Amino acid sequence: MDNLDAARLQMAFTLIFHIVFACIGMVMPFFMIIAHKKWLNTRDPIFLKLTKSWQKGVAIFFVVGAVSGTALSFELGLLWPEFMKHAGPIIGMPFSLEGAAFFVEAVALGFYLYGWGRISEKFHWFTGIIVGLSGVASGILVVSANGWMNAPSGFDYVNGEFLNIDPVQALLNPAWFTQALHMTLAAFTATGFAVAGIHAYQIYKKRQVALHKKAFKIAITFGAIAAILQPISGDLSAKDIAKRQPVKLAAMEAHYETKKGAPLYIGGLVDDEKEKVSYKIEIPKALSFLAFGDFNAEVKGLKDYPKDVRPKVSIVHYAFQTMVGVGTLLMLAGFLFFISLKKMSWWKNKSFWLLFSILAPMGFIALEAGWIVTEVGRQPWIIHNIMKTKDAVTPMPGMIYSFYMYIILYGVLTVAVTWLMIRQIKSLNQAKLA
Amino acid sequence: MLNVVLFFLATSLVLYVILAGADFGAGIVELFSTKSNQALTKKTIYRVMGPVWEANHIWIIILIVILWVGFPDFYNVLVVYLHIPLTLVLLGITMRGVAFVFRHYDAYKDKSQILYDWLFRISSLLTPIFLGMTAGSMLSGKLVITDSYEQYTFYDLFIAPWLNGFSILVGFFFAALCAFLTSILLIGESDITNRKIYVRKSKYATLMVIGLGFLVLCFGFINDIIFITDFIKNPYTIVLIILSALLILPLLRSIKQATKVLSRTLAGLQVILILFAAMFAHFPYLIIASNTEMSLLETVAPEAVIKVLGITLIIGGLVILPGLFHLLKSFKMIKVLES
Repeated sequence: MDNLDAARLQMAFTLIFHIVFACIGMVMPFFMIIAHKKWLNTRDPIFLKLTKSWQKGVAIFFVVGAVSGTALSFELGLLWPEFMKHAGPIIGMPFSLEGAAFFVEAVALGFYLYGWGRISEKFHWFTGIIVGLSGVASGILVVSANGWMNAPSGFDYVNGEFLNIDPVQALLNPAWFTQALHMTLAAFTATGFAVAGIHAYQIYKKRQVALHKKAFKIAITFGAIAAILQPISGDLSAKDIAKRQPVKLAAMEAHYETKKGAPLYIGGLVDDEKEKVSYKIEIPKALSFLAFGDFNAEVKGLKDYPKDVRPKVSIVHYAFQTMVGVGTLLMLAGFLFFISLKKMSWWKNKSFWLLFSILAPMGFIALEAGWIVTEVGRQPWIIHNIMKTKDAVTPMPGMIYSFYMYIILYGVLTVAVTWLMIRQIKSLNQAKLA
Repeated sequence: MLNVVLFFLATSLVLYVILAGADFGAGIVELFSTKSNQALTKKTIYRVMGPVWEANHIWIIILIVILWVGFPDFYNVLVVYLHIPLTLVLLGITMRGVAFVFRHYDAYKDKSQILYDWLFRISSLLTPIFLGMTAGSMLSGKLVITDSYEQYTFYDLFIAPWLNGFSILVGFFFAALCAFLTSILLIGESDITNRKIYVRKSKYATLMVIGLGFLVLCFGFINDIIFITDFIKNPYTIVLIILSALLILPLLRSIKQATKVLSRTLAGLQVILILFAAMFAHFPYLIIASNTEMSLLETVAPEAVIKVLGITLIIGGLVILPGLFHLLKSFKMIKVLES
């Protein structure tokens, strides 16, 4: 494996890991403050117990997310020094604002975690809200930097030099809004379904049912609403990509031949060599409509672009199919939940709980697949149409060893955090509730 | 605006060294304690530092962001040539963070605590050593900055700059500084019966800092390391070092008398004096390579960038600092300032 591939794998691996922790750390505070509010309103001890156990979850995920985020802030430079040298001054603003938001979150979390019985109840609850809001703010801000890589703006590129830098315009790059919206909804969907799924499994196993039902309801409400809204945001994103990154769109859809009234492929096996897709389901004219809102619009195919600016089509296409497929499934599950509120008899059915337990990891699978679409789909560029990934990588040889080291480190971390979570849930189930 | 950015750069550096330093020191003091004292130290540290634990470490992110946004070429040299020590620092930070979470948030307190504790202590010692080695290698004169990588061996480019006597000594010096900060912090946080433990530790740590500092200077002088020869010649540096030497006596006395406020103030002052002495010695040439010297100020980003960065930092500072101050105050972590 050459240096570039090793560095890319290491980056992918670290990001895949970090995103899970960052999302949970960003969304779980909202579940926590809802449970907290319910405790303040009803003084039902179950809500207090729930708040405190979610708070532990938030703390664990926040800290692990913070250290993996610190690692990433170093890695960006360590792996892609040439990229950071030029991009740093341009997209530094979202990063510094994210740093500030993250700092606010850390301060607020300090208050929240250690504030029980030490500061006024109202202020204590309020600091919980700040934790949630600043978490979401840092997520939205950091996505701006990624948006800029897809839609570079805020500078003039003259003879290989970045001139007339305008960091504000770079922050407000055209890809930011659609990407941030899509990511925020994805974070709520993934975390909502994951947390709800864990509690659903406990109900399925008939442990502390009263508590887990309350927990399930709070978490799934967030997840379901986000999952139902997500297709709208997805449509905005697709139309955006069709305009700005037509190669990426073509790779997502495995669309090789330029056509008017282009069909949409569902599934299918991609042959990267022969540039063909077999075993697919075709929906006539749907791609033209989804991309441009017109059934007869022309969609440019991959063959219209030189081979050296195309991403690896099979990966992008499969990841895209996974994201859309799982996303649709979660949207349906979201509707199912809202119907179940009218038909409470479903809540007595074991298979209802089994279903939501199985759905627990699905949101994260869709979310990771989505990031693979946007990142692999941008290749070979690190900054779209400006700088290639191969020109950004570190000159230091032997990156493969660094990659192995990170695999071991994050492998151990994953096992350890999972173990810790299992122990949290076990202790919650053993607790006596008044 | 450049001055604002430099001010925030220096402030985050000082705060990171003092706050994260005291935090690293917590693990080091624990490592060098007897079994019964270890439990005591762990408990006291958690009570004092728990609420600000995360906040202490964010300063390094601010520091890195300022460097890469405001001084991209300077940052570029660090991440290319000091890839390996920085990766070791990262490993240390990650292991430490995880061990900290585990030992305080695990639902069951059983035998696994032993593992978490050791992980925490060892990584607390190694991380500042690697951090110090990274700083040392910037100034060691062993870096080779080049565009033609093929002409040099892997060892010359990526190993020699940090794996040398000077850098290693700076690493140990920084670790001693961390232990010094924590043991003095702990004097004021423990009750009268335990106080003498930390008084003793503070004395040892102070002697370690002085001894290692002296060693770094001697080693650098004997081996003609430009940074050190300039360090001893620079008038500002000499004034700062004399000041710090003069303050050692009152510091030792205040440690002996266990005066909380005075000992902490003097300890913090020592660190600031040492840091500034090192910065002034060769400012703005903060990277001293074997073939060139690199000025921080010559790598500065375009003016528009610095302007936006400065404004962002001011706004961020206005939001964060009052909150952080309030946090410290609410949990009585700054009694120092009140009394």
